[in-house]
Parts: sequence; structure tokens; C-alpha cells
Amino acid sequence: MSVADPTTTIDATLAATAALRCEGLVKAFQGVHAVNGAAFDVPAGQITALIGPNGAGKTTVVNMLSGAMKADRGRVFLGETEITGWPSHRIAQHGLLRTFQLSRELGGLTVLENLLTAAPNQAGDSFLNALLRPGLIRRQERENAERALHLLAVYGLYRHRDTPARELSGGQKKLLEIARAVMGQPKVLLLDEPMAGVNPALIDVLGGYILDLKKDGVTVLMIEHNLGVVERICDYVIVLAEGKTLATGRLSELRQNTEVVKAYLGEVMDASATH
Amino acid sequence: MTLLWLSVGFGLVTTSVLALAALGLSLQFGITNYINFAYGDFMALGGFFTYFLNNEALHLNIWLSMAIATVAMGFFGVLINRLLLGPFARRFTSSHYVLIVTFGLSLIMLNVIYSIWGADVRFYSLPPGSALHIGPLLLTTSQLIVMGIAVVLVGAVHTILQTTRLGKSMRAMSDNGTLAMTSGIDTRMVTTVTWFMSGALAGVAGAVLGVSEGNLTPAAGELFLFVIFAAVILGGIGSIYGALAGAVVIGMSTEISAAFINPAYKLDIAFVALILTLLIRPNGLIARPGMT
Amino acid sequence: MTYYIFTLVFFLFDYFILAMGLNIQYGITGILNFAYIGFVAVGAYVTGVAAMPANTVGQHYILGLGLPFPFNLLLGGFAAMGLSVLIALITLRRLRTDYLAIVLVSLSLVFYDFCNNYVSLFNGADGLYNVPEPFAKTLGLGSNNFIVFFACLTGVVSLIMWFVMSRVMRAPLGRTFRAVRDDAVTAAALGKNTFWMQMKAMMIGSFFAGIGGGLLIQFGGSFNPTAWLPAETFVVFAVLIVGGAGNNIGMFVGALLVETLLIHLPAFLPEIPGHPGLIEYIDTVIVGVVLMVMLWFRPQGIVPARLRKTASFGVDERLDEEAGELDRTTALAGVGTRAEATR
Repeated sequence: MSVADPTTTIDATLAATAALRCEGLVKAFQGVHAVNGAAFDVPAGQITALIGPNGAGKTTVVNMLSGAMKADRGRVFLGETEITGWPSHRIAQHGLLRTFQLSRELGGLTVLENLLTAAPNQAGDSFLNALLRPGLIRRQERENAERALHLLAVYGLYRHRDTPARELSGGQKKLLEIARAVMGQPKVLLLDEPMAGVNPALIDVLGGYILDLKKDGVTVLMIEHNLGVVERICDYVIVLAEGKTLATGRLSELRQNTEVVKAYLGEVMDASATH
Repeated sequence: MTLLWLSVGFGLVTTSVLALAALGLSLQFGITNYINFAYGDFMALGGFFTYFLNNEALHLNIWLSMAIATVAMGFFGVLINRLLLGPFARRFTSSHYVLIVTFGLSLIMLNVIYSIWGADVRFYSLPPGSALHIGPLLLTTSQLIVMGIAVVLVGAVHTILQTTRLGKSMRAMSDNGTLAMTSGIDTRMVTTVTWFMSGALAGVAGAVLGVSEGNLTPAAGELFLFVIFAAVILGGIGSIYGALAGAVVIGMSTEISAAFINPAYKLDIAFVALILTLLIRPNGLIARPGMT
Repeated sequence: MTYYIFTLVFFLFDYFILAMGLNIQYGITGILNFAYIGFVAVGAYVTGVAAMPANTVGQHYILGLGLPFPFNLLLGGFAAMGLSVLIALITLRRLRTDYLAIVLVSLSLVFYDFCNNYVSLFNGADGLYNVPEPFAKTLGLGSNNFIVFFACLTGVVSLIMWFVMSRVMRAPLGRTFRAVRDDAVTAAALGKNTFWMQMKAMMIGSFFAGIGGGLLIQFGGSFNPTAWLPAETFVVFAVLIVGGAGNNIGMFVGALLVETLLIHLPAFLPEIPGHPGLIEYIDTVIVGVVLMVMLWFRPQGIVPARLRKTASFGVDERLDEEAGELDRTTALAGVGTRAEATR
């Protein structure tokens, strides 16, 4: 099968400003290759969609980029820093945050506490500070809480700030998931199917939020099935198939790309139409 | 050299006790997916019920007492699952609760045994037997019977698992509970039978432990519990045949090592095996999970 | 009478400390530490041998530093903490809950076995006795007065410990512990080093266990293996669950109800002739049953953990109006809480 060369479809200038880059990612589960040599650049300050048919290895790639899974082979760079093999907390501390396909709320914490957990560089995570510097902690907590409340207001969760997260509805958990990642002040944000299982009205709201993130200078990589959404908000598209990068570029360019790509896009479109 | 052969003999007996116990724990773990921390006390109860029939109530022959106690403990296992553990496991998604409940059950059972039988060391009345030379080994009749019981029961469980419909259902449930339920297996029935087998095996293991140790104390089962854990984890938790292999390794190594080091520390050999397994391959050295 | 009352007071405060330690490990961070009593024992033994002179006729033990109170107690606390680091290194990596519980139970059994057999460590099965009573000589206290004095001293120590624990639980550290408990994967994705966080919870909790244990040996003057059978861990769990996991006040209530009223009050009943220990056995059975009934009917305990409300962060909640406006956008989008949907 002929495969488009990914490097030819993306601008050389963009490659230089990649916020996130991976090379030759490989991951096998019990001998079956879920990801087999995926390689792509995520341009800085843009919204990039990661698309591909079911089983293409999209979530596995995101898991490897975020450190939730160790790659068998391949390298990952966050900006200039190689983060291959780093544990996920260290990657998050370096500004790459992610959301999960199925919302993973911290159920026993309130909505506000969920956001506060994500605030970076908290002095109060140290035992000695907790014991000896309550003033410093109180100040930091107040600042973080103010920022968190603003975010909650923006994401329409302000009313529920003191609700335990497990009591939220499915849609609200999706919003919380994104708001919490934003609270972590990401340079790069990975969204794993943010629109999945969300009603059409909320899809537009979520799309608006993601565009706002771009305005704030956040680089976004999102797995997305809905090509309508991709067309409206994404600048670039990475097509993954059978664990490899099939093509990258603007959606309009990809539409005119090889027959292979058309076939994949067709499949994705059909899939999204049935949702 | 004689000492070595002697300890090989002890090793075979310990292996037999351990195999019975580990088999029962593994069967139950495979189906319910949580550890029963009261398992050692199931053993103790089996041992003391045997003692009751053997020395207190009917003065039955030890082996007959053991058989009755085994069946009774089987029903006890079913009862405990129906009335206590099953409801807790179904109600709470986090396994913490049911683990704490089994831990509490252990304390309750131990103290019930203490209340009834007291803290004194007890002895079975064994029929007089003579020591037999079998090859280089020196074994008593009782020890041989213990080994015989283990071989027969392990063989029986193997046959059930491999050839009967019930056994296939048990293996399927152990591999994937949800799938088994959707594919029309009567999971309630399988669970009940498994608890029966697990309780019965604990009962018989407790009684033969009393025979092989030469005495009976309420806390003996609890102290033996972690030797079972060592065997089960070494073999890969939930794997029946892994548990049996683990029982052989742990049973033989603890007894044979006792020929060379202070026997007071022989349990620590089992513990070292446990820790090494967890450090090197937490999923077990011998087999992968599942009853295969 | 004074002796009885102040013995009860002592155990109330001591188990308050012990329960707070288990609470930070299990109630807050979700580590099912079934070996908790082992850490209590280490604290007790080390506190004992740190206070005892280098040689005592008829006893074998290590250290024998002759340290005065509270330095021996602190050493006991740090010894328990040190042990917890070792154990956490082995167990906190990649182990699922029940494996962890198995290993911890096994550890406490083996440690028990070891202390029982290895006489030169802490005098084997006889345990330590005639441990010097703190301040008894300097203050010239008789044994009854010492009980009163030490019960009050334990009360002071427990207040200090409570203060420390409240700081930890109120700080972001406490929230991070709860985040790790609720979902370790998410906590890691938000930049929390979950292994290190669990390690911290183990260390803090074990320090509390060690202090509680050290006070036990200083109160009674002796400590031996019968005092810390592995099942004793369950008593601390009972205190925690009856009181309400996650809440310090709950730990005090639990210590009062379980340890003081259920366990120690009946110990003052006269023995039933011909049945030595029967009352204690039945009593323990009752503790087990109470815990199960509690878990079934009120798993959150008598004093449930409280939610931390926005107001407590000292922020201005004037966002309300603006937020109401924005919330309406999402209301249009058809998102409501589950409660709203079912209303």
C-alpha cells in the first residue's frame, strides 16, 4: 500500500515551530501493533486534529505523548525538550496536559477542588510548607481559587463549584475535564475526543472554548471524529491509519490528496454521520 | 544426608497441606476477584470442628471427622458468601470494603474459636501408626494419608475443571466475569459451588495442618495464611495450576531449608520468596492469571 | 477508680493519634495498610529500647540509649517512619489494592514472627518490661499519680499531633492525597507524582503510628508480641470507619466509642470463672460485628468527611452575577446536574 510521505505535506516553516513532535512511535499489545511508527509535528499555537478510523491507534498515541503509556520505541519532543520515557506527572509539569476520552473526575473532590488540584507549582504540596508556612499557602490558595472560579464561570460550572464532581452530569464532566486541564496552564493541550457523547448544542459551546484557547496561545491536539467540527475549528489535520501517520496538512488539502486518503476520510465521514 | 531426606518427607507433607489450601483460595479468588483474609480462620474452624467430632462429641475416627468437617465447612463457605461477603462485594464498587470485611470476619472467627475452645493447644487422637520407609523417605501412616488426601482432592478439582460443564463455566468466569454472565452462564450457581469448594478445601486443609503439625491452635490458620499467599502469588494469583506449582516450591523450600537454618525462621523463606516475586514479576513467576 | 478513668482517658487519646495516622493513609490517600499495627509496634519497641539503659538483667535488646522523654518517643516515631519508607519502596510500585493488602498483611505476620523469635532484637516473646517511666522520678510520682500524669501528657501530645494533621489535611497536600485516592491516573496527568505522594502519606501516617506506639509502651512500661497481634490493625480500622474516614473529629469519636467504650471498658469487668479471656474474646467479636454493621448502614461513619467550600479559600464570591449569565449559556446547551435531571 502506498502511503503519503508526511513530511512533504506540512510546511517546512511549521516543522521548525513544532510545539510537540514525535518520531517512530511503536506500541504493541501482546504482539499486535496498535501503533507502528507514527511520526508527526504539532504546529505551535494552532489547533490540530488527529483523525483516523477506529483502531488506528489515536488514543494509544495520545497516551504515549502524555506519558500514560511507555512507548516500545520512538521519541517524543515537547518544544526543544526530549520527553521520551518521562512519567506523566513530569510531562504535565512541563506544560503538556491532557483530557481523557471517558471523563475521569476526581469524584470525592468538589468541582473547585478538581481545578485547584491542577494548579501548577503549589508550595502547599510540600509537607514542611504545609506545616510551617500557612500564610504563603493561604495566599497561593486564594490566588489559585480566584483563577479557578473565573475558569468555572467561563466554562459554566460556577454554580456547581461546591458540588462533589461525581454528582455532575456527563456533559458537565466533559467541561470540568477541559477546565481542569486549562487550570494547569498548558503550553500543549491534548484532547481525547472532547465532543464524544456530547449533545449538538454543547458541541458548539465546546468548539468555542477550544478556539478561545488558541487565542490564548495554547497549542491544541485533539482526537476528533466529527469532520464538521474539524473543518470549523482545526487548522491542521493528522491522519493516522494502522498505527502510522498517513498524511498531514489542512483538511482542504487532504481532501484533494491521494485516493487512499480519500478512502480513509470517507470512512471517517461515514462514521461521523452515523453518530 | 538422613536429615535432608527427613526434611524432604516433611516438605512433601507441607506441600500437600499447602496445595489444598492454595487451591481453595485460588478458586475463590478467580471467581470473586477479591482476597478472603479470613481464609486462615476458615482453616482453623475446619480443624477445630474436626477436633470436636474426633475428641469431644462423637469420638469418631479422625479421618471420618475430617470428612464431615470438610463438607460442613463447604456449606459454611456458601453461607458466608450469601449472607455477608456477596452482598458487600455487590454493593460497593471499591474492593476496599469487602477486603476490610474479610479482615473483620477473620477477627470474629478467631475470637469465636477462642471463646469456644480457649487458647490451649489441642491434639487430635490419631490411630496408632508406625513409621514406614519408602525409598529413602521416612513417613508415618498419617502423613501418608495426608498426602493421599491432597492427591485425591487436587485430582478431583482438576477433573471437575477440565471435563465438566461446571468446570468450564468456572474457568470462563475466572477469565472474564462479565463475558461469562452475558454468555448465559449461571454465575450465581457457579459462585455458590466455588464457595462450597473453597470452604471445603479450607476445612480439610485446616484439619490436615493440625495432623501434620501434631497440634491445633486457633491462630495456626492465620499464621499459615501468608505461606498460602506466598504460594499463590508465586504461582500467579487466580491461576489454579500456578498456585499448585507455587505450593510445591514454597512447601519444599521452607522444609528443606529448615534442615540448614534455624527452623524458627523457615517461614521467612516463604516471605523472601513472596517479596522477590513481587519485585521481579508481580503477576507471578509461574503462570498468567486465569484458571488455565 | 482514678486509675480506671485515666486508663480510659489514655487509650482515648492514644487511639486518637493512631486513628489519625491510619486516616491519612487509608481515609485520605486510600492506601489499605493492613500492616498498620506493625508500625505501632516498631514505635513502641524503639521508644522502649531508646529509654532503657544499655543493660538490664534478664532482657536482651538493641540500642539501650537511656534517652529521656520525649527524645526516645521521637526516635520511635522516626523509626516507624523509616520502616514505612522501606516497605513503601517495595509495595507501592505497580501493585493492585489486594496485592498491596496481601503483602502488608504478610509483612506484619513475618515481622511479628521475627520479633517473637529473634530474642536479641526486642527480647523475643517476653517483650520489653520495666521501661523507665518518663518524669516519674523527677516529679516523684507514685504509680497512680503517674497514670493521671501520663494520660494528661498523652492528651497534650495528641493535641499537637491533631494540629499537625489538620495543617496537612487543609493544605494542598491533603487535597492532592485525596486526588490520588480518587484516581491516581488523573492525579498523575495533572502533574502529581503519585508514588511520592503515597510515600509521603505512608511516612506521615507511620510517624503517627510510631508515636502512638511509643506512648503505649511508656504508659504500661512494657510491650510484648501479644500486644500487637496482626488482628489489632483491625481495631484501628474499626475506630476509623465508625468515626468516619477522612475526618479528624471522627477519629476522636471513633476512638471514644470503639477503643474506650467497646474495648477497654469491658476489660474492667470481672473474669467469668473457668473461662479465662472469654469476655475479651466476645468483646472482640462485637467490635467486628459493629464494624460490619457500620460499613453496611453508614459507610461514611458517624462524623462524615466534610466538603471544602469555596468560602473557606478566602475569595470574593462576587462573581455570582456574571457567572449566572455564563451558566445560562450552558443551560441552553442542555447540561444540568444529575440531580437536576431527575428532579
